[in-house]
Amino acid sequence: MSSPEAAISVRDVSKVYRRYERRAHGTLKSLFVVGARGRTRDGGVVALDGVSFWAARGETLGVVGANGSGKSTLLKLLAGIVRPTRGSVDVRGRLAALLELGAGFHPEISGRENVEITGLLLGLSRKAIAERFDAIVRFAGVEDFLDAPVKTYSSGMAVRLGFAIAAHSDPDVLLVDEVLAVGDEMFAHRALEKFSEFERAGKTLVFVSHDLGLVAERCRRAIWLERGRVAADGPAGEVVARYREQVAAEEGERRAAAAGKGKRVGSGVATLELVRLLDREGRPVARVRSGETAAIELVVRAFEPLEDFVFGVEIATVAGATVFGTNTLLEGFRPGRLAGDARVTLEIPSLDLAPGVYSLDAAVHARDGAPYDYRRDVLRFEVAADRPSTGVWSPGRKWTFSGGVRWKD
Amino acid sequence: MNPFAPLRRTWAHRALVSALVRRELAARYRGGTLGFLWSFLNPLLLLLVYATVFRYVFAPRADVRPYALFLFGGVLLWGFASAALIDAAECFRANGPLLRKTTVSPEVFPAAAVGARLAHFVLAFPVLVAAIVYAAVRGSVHIGAAALEFPLVLVLLALAVFGAALGISALSVHYGDVRDLVGNLLTLAFFLTPILYPVEAVPERWRWALRLNPFSSFFDGLHDTLFAFRPVPAVDWLWMAAVAVAALAAGGAVFERLRDSLAEEA
Repeated sequence: MSSPEAAISVRDVSKVYRRYERRAHGTLKSLFVVGARGRTRDGGVVALDGVSFWAARGETLGVVGANGSGKSTLLKLLAGIVRPTRGSVDVRGRLAALLELGAGFHPEISGRENVEITGLLLGLSRKAIAERFDAIVRFAGVEDFLDAPVKTYSSGMAVRLGFAIAAHSDPDVLLVDEVLAVGDEMFAHRALEKFSEFERAGKTLVFVSHDLGLVAERCRRAIWLERGRVAADGPAGEVVARYREQVAAEEGERRAAAAGKGKRVGSGVATLELVRLLDREGRPVARVRSGETAAIELVVRAFEPLEDFVFGVEIATVAGATVFGTNTLLEGFRPGRLAGDARVTLEIPSLDLAPGVYSLDAAVHARDGAPYDYRRDVLRFEVAADRPSTGVWSPGRKWTFSGGVRWKD
Repeated sequence: MNPFAPLRRTWAHRALVSALVRRELAARYRGGTLGFLWSFLNPLLLLLVYATVFRYVFAPRADVRPYALFLFGGVLLWGFASAALIDAAECFRANGPLLRKTTVSPEVFPAAAVGARLAHFVLAFPVLVAAIVYAAVRGSVHIGAAALEFPLVLVLLALAVFGAALGISALSVHYGDVRDLVGNLLTLAFFLTPILYPVEAVPERWRWALRLNPFSSFFDGLHDTLFAFRPVPAVDWLWMAAVAVAALAAGGAVFERLRDSLAEEA
């Protein structure tokens, strides 16, 4: 499990957080009655359980996993903030941890003073801080606010300054916890550039993120933590794909349980008994691949014969923006008669949606829009794609290049 | 386990401790128009209150004159020691995010708490010096070379307070009632320490009991050097040194034992 080139090696590490019955009221009595050490024996919360892995020098290692899977604990162990209950953690070289940007900032004092203190906290000497001061300030873009107290900074400025200090502390090993989630696009871009610089300089980066696309893209290797254990360790793309599958499977179960809990209005003369998303083989799914065939199936029951009816579906982002909507009236179907049970299927030969989670509305209503049964957010589904993209549309695509452009591998 | 390891680590991180102390001072005085002037104004107003009260309201003690000056020195020094210990009980709570999110050595927080209070005392000290000079000019006290021994008294007290602060800070993370306990013990100790009265006011056969109070010898030292202007007796130096070493060893041992759990519990 180890290698001579390892910058980080973690061997069979477990971490049990002590859980006190009335932690907030831990009293002196407990010290005198059982002794401080005795209290550890009443069980605890196992945050990590037999975790082993290593990272080579110059490697960027991604760590993925659900909340509570032990990612933060792992970083704290690597940083030396907490000690393992069992096993050993070995980190070679100077370490800097970006666990919370600007954690050391004092709101009442100036940016200038905070830079010095944070630098010292990161283990820089006063001289080293003075040398890097200008570069830090430039990177953070806070030149004009240096002497203002940090409480007057926007959250973006504080985050940039915190990142700038850590990034300029010239570590051999950098631990990064979800910091890109807090800044704007511009900051994320500069931060990623900085990470690339680190990689080129042969530094080791451990990168915890919920942004799976980013992990797959930036990291050569990744480990997936689940309930305190290493569920997978390997090439980042594979690990992320396996993790995604697992999440989708769990999400599917959850969605199935929650289905139909969305808002529902209508007279009830006809109802949507079932709304499902089907894959190309006609199996009900909660997750489809972008560009593949999918179908939306409605099972309708009319409680009296109807001569005025329209079936409609609408796909929206979870944030509520409509992506696509249509109904039988718009598409030129003129209603004849609806009685008893009916099955309506809308097939989409190529579902060119960008990766993400989408919400589906379905309805059966009269031509004037009066709903018989209108089910908002009746199901949610995830679209997965090999290639990340932004927006909601992900068409089939192909790049071509000619002339003086070259790509590595 | 080396009970003096926390002291060694504090020394290794002295640049950070001093930066934290300066941060504390800067943050405290920022925002007020008078700023650092308050370091002088606070003790000056306190001195004026004492001078007024013991002239017009209460009869001053006849055995120590001028009583306002006697009281002022003791109260200033007590202010340092007691506030430092109370701050120490709060320091990990106040710096929780730093402790949980950075790789900082936890000793620096009690050290900075004590350092900040020591800095306040040093800033207020010129007021005490001015009061002594004023009293000397009026012929109430006779300044002597023994005054030069006071800095050593202060250093020994600061070391003792730091030792206690180490223990208190670590314990208060695990036991919520340490803060209240410390506050109450300090109130009690204030009256059991020669601050309001001189050691000589205690009957000879009870002096040993006063000695058991670890604060006593330092305040006796203060009164020797900056009020009576007589050299501190050798036995008192030994006692002060012993208290400082014992506090550092005991506080350091407690801190060392609880050190690994501080980031988890704070």
